[in-house]
Amino acid sequence: MKTNNLLSNKYKRIGWVLFTLGLISGLVLMFLNFEVSILEVNVLSIYSDTIFNSESDGFFKIVENSIADELSALCIIAGGIMVGFSKEKVEDEFISKLRTDSLVWAIIVNYIILALAIIFVYDMTFFNVLVFNMFTPLLFYIFRFNYLKSKA
Amino acid sequence: MKNSIKVERARHDMTQADLAEKIGVSRQSINAIEKGKYVPSTILALKIAKLFKLSVEEIFQLDPED
Repeated sequence: MKTNNLLSNKYKRIGWVLFTLGLISGLVLMFLNFEVSILEVNVLSIYSDTIFNSESDGFFKIVENSIADELSALCIIAGGIMVGFSKEKVEDEFISKLRTDSLVWAIIVNYIILALAIIFVYDMTFFNVLVFNMFTPLLFYIFRFNYLKSKA
Repeated sequence: MKNSIKVERARHDMTQADLAEKIGVSRQSINAIEKGKYVPSTILALKIAKLFKLSVEEIFQLDPED
């Protein structure tokens, strides 16, 4: 069966490596409250509106920033896409159905959890919820898909 | 939908993996079809029937619930 929009199977392994590295480094950074000064470089900020540092406010400013968290987030996204959306060794119609089912499940579960967090989590802790929520749709999808596949 | 793939497989002395390889699907698909968890596409049903040299109706039958 022809399936579109999927990467070749060879990306799966590198995807798992990037995804794991991203998740581990991301959790470490989160544990350190993102207060690290490694990899500080000048970056282009398209728009900034900060509370404490008004000299970097405005459009198209060059600002100094530790890119550790950016790298970690990009690793999770790139790795997660590769893991979730590269073909299985045998990609057939049943696997496609598992993909669809897992995606629906992941989106629904993600937003139920987010809705609960909106109701019960407040202040800066909610910021952490938002950070997690950037990656949970992909994460839930990968877990659900691999769970259904291993059960089949 | 009921099907007699397991019976036909036994008759031809094939494992799920053998059948999967012969018709170009994953082993999980054959397992899910046999357990009645997944209804295959018409193309796949025709391929399975052709492999066993039977008609589709001899392998797949409607359930009263369908």
